[in-house]
Amino acid sequence: MERFITLLASGLSLGAVYALVSLGFVLVFKSTRVLNLAMGEFLMIGTYIGYFLITHLGLNFIPALLIVAAVMGSLGLFVHYGVMRNLVGRPFFAIVLVTIGIAIIIRGIILVVAGPIERPRMQGLSSSIVNIGGAQVEMYNFIILGTALLLVLGFYLFFRSSRLGLHMRAVAENLQASSAMGISPDRIYALAWFISLAMAGAGGVFFGHYTAAIDLNIAAIGIRAAPAAIVGGLDSVEGAIVGGLIVGTLEQMGAGYFGADYRDIIPFLILTIMLYVKPAGLFGSPELVRI
Amino acid sequence: MAREKFITDYRQDMRIIRTRPQRVWAIIITVVLIALPFLLNNGWTPPLNFPWVAWLTVLNLSLTAIIGAAAFNLLVGNTGQVSLAHAGLLIFGTIISGLFGPLFGWNFWVVLPLTMITGALAGVVIALPALRLKGLYLLLATLGIYYFAYFVYKWFLVRNFGFIPIIYSFPTVPEWFPWLNEGEGGLAINNNFRWYWTILPITALSLLFMSNVIRTSEGRAFAAVKARDTASSLVGVSPVKSKLLVFMVSSAFVSMSGALQSYFLSAREEASYPFQTTLDYAIMIVLGGFSSILGAVFGALFFYGAPVWIDWIRQETPVLRDINFLYSYKSEINLAVFGFLIVFVLVRSPDGLSGAWKRVKSYFAKWPYSL
Repeated sequence: MERFITLLASGLSLGAVYALVSLGFVLVFKSTRVLNLAMGEFLMIGTYIGYFLITHLGLNFIPALLIVAAVMGSLGLFVHYGVMRNLVGRPFFAIVLVTIGIAIIIRGIILVVAGPIERPRMQGLSSSIVNIGGAQVEMYNFIILGTALLLVLGFYLFFRSSRLGLHMRAVAENLQASSAMGISPDRIYALAWFISLAMAGAGGVFFGHYTAAIDLNIAAIGIRAAPAAIVGGLDSVEGAIVGGLIVGTLEQMGAGYFGADYRDIIPFLILTIMLYVKPAGLFGSPELVRI
Repeated sequence: MAREKFITDYRQDMRIIRTRPQRVWAIIITVVLIALPFLLNNGWTPPLNFPWVAWLTVLNLSLTAIIGAAAFNLLVGNTGQVSLAHAGLLIFGTIISGLFGPLFGWNFWVVLPLTMITGALAGVVIALPALRLKGLYLLLATLGIYYFAYFVYKWFLVRNFGFIPIIYSFPTVPEWFPWLNEGEGGLAINNNFRWYWTILPITALSLLFMSNVIRTSEGRAFAAVKARDTASSLVGVSPVKSKLLVFMVSSAFVSMSGALQSYFLSAREEASYPFQTTLDYAIMIVLGGFSSILGAVFGALFFYGAPVWIDWIRQETPVLRDINFLYSYKSEINLAVFGFLIVFVLVRSPDGLSGAWKRVKSYFAKWPYSL
């Protein structure tokens, strides 16, 4: 039972990171129909900047998180205006490959700047032990889960009730009609990239507290968050958090009970099953295809 | 006025080599391919320490990769089935060849066709998601195949080889080639020069086979499936059959090229197939150009040749040579350069190197008018 609670707690906080990353997937996909496979690499940039700020400069957690989110958001603007804007209307595989190209660039740059050595996890959050039903759970698990839930709730409200959120939904629903009504899709796309990469950066800072070691392997989180986005539905904000938590928890449980080798394949088993049963995901809208 | 330029029947239109310039090119390429290993292997040292001997390795690696890249291109470029499963299939080919080659001691010439047959069967399994999903969802569904294959690969390695790599022994030329015999047990293919003559025919036959597939009615069905698969079923194409077939053909060749590469490199370990492998083939077909065999050839040559080239330039340029930074991070910088090239090619010139080559050709063909 203790083992179950420990695994559940760490699974949920891993799921919270997945939720943030898959929210980043969903935001960009919903408005621009681009599947950003470089998400894990963007998250990795966030982790490295966060590591630099917290471990080297000794900043507190909250300012570091805000700085990382701002830096990554600006990078998102750069990605949109520098690259993605030129690719509107191209076949989706070409665009996916461009994001893969961006991922490769980031890997190269991080290898040059930071090197392949492993670094210890960050210590910006409290790791005091909380006792739940006999199980010992570190405090930061709850902070990660709580903050992620707050962020997702915030975005849910943002999409439902704010003017900009309404604009984003309008562009996602009908590009021509919304631009005829005076919404600039270009700015909405830029905003989507801004928020998406800020999410990835935040997820990176959280994951830097959670992971065993910081090195290039953490980019795999981005690939493993794709199943989370599919489970929740590729175009659903509330689905992102549900999918993230499901995938994170199952992955952690599987790795805990069967062995760490299973960690990589569990999200993809879930993905395969989900794509057979309900490709649109739990909350997503089914894709309409022209014959 | 029967000039060769005009195509007067379908048989002419379907030839691989259609025009006189193409025939000239084919002859030139054949001569170069035959002369190249002799030129590279004669111990000549070119000026400026050009890495002459390294090119034979580069050529051999590219020739094995060309098979995989062309098969991937057949799937993605010609049939529009976007799949990221080929790294998984390379692993699959390695597992099968490791099982039957080093473990059971079967002959290389038996193992190689075997990897093709099993690869085709694996292709049927991989095609199952393709029957139900398309586009983006298919891409995501095949993303997992690398992880499944890697999982099996790790299990296979640990179970049969412990923590040491799979060591492939050098294959030998079959004994029924009497003029190539070297005493007992046939001629061992144990250096780059001999490997070149082994890999080149295999690659040439594979490319010939794939370009023939494209020319048949099945190949035209692939193109129809790429355009619109539901609509193609209305004109008598069976999308299910086409998809199964293209996945089988492509998987067979990718799996075979994985096995061939393993034999050529002679040792494979757990770290031989990082996730990066999936991206390597994407780099090749993007830089080479989609939906053409020529693209796969250019892409693979560029992928393996460019690092050697960049290295040589760095070593021989006076200022760059002294920058220690560039030396210690050469592979990382290569990686970043490839990433940049992908983004640049896709944004600026979507048909890649083979498209650029076509534009150069048409510039010269129409010369006075193309200025």
